[in-house]
Amino acid sequence: MTQTAKSYDRIIIGAGLYGLYAALFCGKRGQSVLVLECGTEAFGRATYINQARVHQGYHYPRSISTAVKSAGYFERFNRDYAFCINREFRKVYATSREFSWADGAQFRSFCKAAGIFCEELHPGQFFREGMCDGAFLTREYTYDAMILKEYLLEQIAGLPHVELRFAVRVAEIGKLADAYELTLESGERFRSGFLLNATYASVNQILALLGYEPFGIKYELCEIILCEVNETLKKYGFTVMDGPFFSIMPFGKTGLHSLTSVTFTPHSTSYESTPRFSCQERSGGRCSPAFLANCNDCPARPESAFPYMAALAGKYLKEEYGFTYHSSLFSMKPILTSSELDDSRPTVIRQYSKAPAFVSVLSGKINTVYDLDEVLSDGD
Amino acid sequence: METKEKNFISAVIYVHNAETRIGTFLKTVLHVLEENFEKAEIICVNDHSEDRSVDVIRDVSKEACHTSISVLNMSYFHGLETAMNAGVDLSIGDFVLEFDGTVLDFAPEEIMKIYRKSLEGYDIVSASPQGRQRLTSRLFYLLFQRCSGSFYQQMDTESFRILSRRVINRVSSMNQSVPYRKAVYASCGLKTWNLRYRVQDVQKAADRKERRYRGRLAVDSLILFTEAGYGFSMLMTGMMMLTALFMLGYSLVIYLTQKPVEGWTTTILFLSFAFFGLFAVLTIIVKYLQILVNLVFKRKRYSFESIEKLTK
Repeated sequence: MTQTAKSYDRIIIGAGLYGLYAALFCGKRGQSVLVLECGTEAFGRATYINQARVHQGYHYPRSISTAVKSAGYFERFNRDYAFCINREFRKVYATSREFSWADGAQFRSFCKAAGIFCEELHPGQFFREGMCDGAFLTREYTYDAMILKEYLLEQIAGLPHVELRFAVRVAEIGKLADAYELTLESGERFRSGFLLNATYASVNQILALLGYEPFGIKYELCEIILCEVNETLKKYGFTVMDGPFFSIMPFGKTGLHSLTSVTFTPHSTSYESTPRFSCQERSGGRCSPAFLANCNDCPARPESAFPYMAALAGKYLKEEYGFTYHSSLFSMKPILTSSELDDSRPTVIRQYSKAPAFVSVLSGKINTVYDLDEVLSDGD
Repeated sequence: METKEKNFISAVIYVHNAETRIGTFLKTVLHVLEENFEKAEIICVNDHSEDRSVDVIRDVSKEACHTSISVLNMSYFHGLETAMNAGVDLSIGDFVLEFDGTVLDFAPEEIMKIYRKSLEGYDIVSASPQGRQRLTSRLFYLLFQRCSGSFYQQMDTESFRILSRRVINRVSSMNQSVPYRKAVYASCGLKTWNLRYRVQDVQKAADRKERRYRGRLAVDSLILFTEAGYGFSMLMTGMMMLTALFMLGYSLVIYLTQKPVEGWTTTILFLSFAFFGLFAVLTIIVKYLQILVNLVFKRKRYSFESIEKLTK
């Protein structure tokens, strides 16, 4: 291995939204950028496999800080990426009468405090009698990850000094005096004075290569169910809050709805610093606590929980809102353990070192991607 | 291969200090559900147990293949009725099995028997032990039926029952809260059936807290769901009115014939009149309270079993 390491201004690990956004951001500033992705394509995991919400904060009635932050970026994201946003549906948030941590009145005052739009509706219009004590028309959209991906890749393609490498795995990372040096499994080596770890569920696995302090997270293997819906449901997105309930809402511009539930979407949980699951043994050597493979195309992916989620949704929704199973998507979701109580979802950006810089980002929301701007422009 | 039921079934089990019984009980229920249903869930309502009940549930839940088992922990001792209401509210099944206790005095097949019976069109099917009831239970149900009219003729000691989603929806729209499920189920106006099973072996299950709770519940239910309180006060008023009238006549007779001590007649007259008024006022208050109770617990004035479509 006498090959010399190629140098870049920025090296980014992970080609999800945060990775590609950062690549484009830096590329536009004339920096040379290398993006390393272990999958064969961009947006292969969490950026694609989630509820595709563009949050305005409704989801966090117990964390006003998260709500206010999402609301701030909501307008900007919808403006910048308008082409991939689906606004053609009415989004209804409802509070369950039983077992909810917040009731209708509390949700209303929360929206007022966060300064986000909410108009009270009659719960009986959508939900079975006695199931919900509040229903609200809100302003929330969904984004189409695949359209967003095409756009970002197209933009990046116009920048000759931004390079994307797919199907490569980082084997080693070493810290030199003024740069980080990455060695791929193939033996190739790269160097940069700025390394961004935007690997979401694999964040701690990359940190482990450097021996840096891991994020305090737990892992949930999650299933997003795609459903075909009837004409009545097509016009709506529903989310029942705030506890063991469900969401059924348009999945970008695909014409399908995503169905998720708090209790049945997570199939299994790992509380270790790096993800350890029993299904890894059945993955045929592809997946381990040190390297997380893509759950969605894994041979050991679990059986769908559709009957459970459908029963839950059917318990609340009136019969005229019909849906049938289309397919399932699986992905790994890291959740900060510190945010369990208030259910907040902060975007955490940690700078482990400056000159050379090493930054890790962990966020569960797409529209807070702008949080990266500050750290990316740092030191220029 | 035997085909499994496609219906989603939920089982709600009441658990209170049952570490010695819940293990076998849960295993039995789990086994029956896994064998017969494609999809099922079990909700153990832990009514503030102070023993290892929850640990036992956790251990047993590892044996589940495709059944979802959850524990609903109550924050303090709520008693059977409220705790089971919470469990049923949480359940998502098309059919819900309610197990009011963890005493396994029935054969596992009984569970499927009541399920099949409900498929015949009974929204509520309950299972009661064969044989003699406890004296106190017998007295309670006798009094209950006497004082409540035709609504609750079927009521009996029940160990478990199955409810259709229809009943649960109906009950939740009829009542703000459900103080005594059996009475509410019986009055919801849908078809019910009771099956009797042969008792396997009898264990004593209720601890002191539960026994005290049952006593209280019996009194509350009699007052809430029957006319017992109102009837009693009406009876007393009637008797006192008659007494007062008698005293009126008696004091007049004494006054005219025997020259009583000065002031005796007026005192007696006053007392008779005062008692008469007092009991009349009390009756009005009791009636008033009864109306309030009806307003609070029974929101809808009518309930129907089904709408039959006779023409095309």
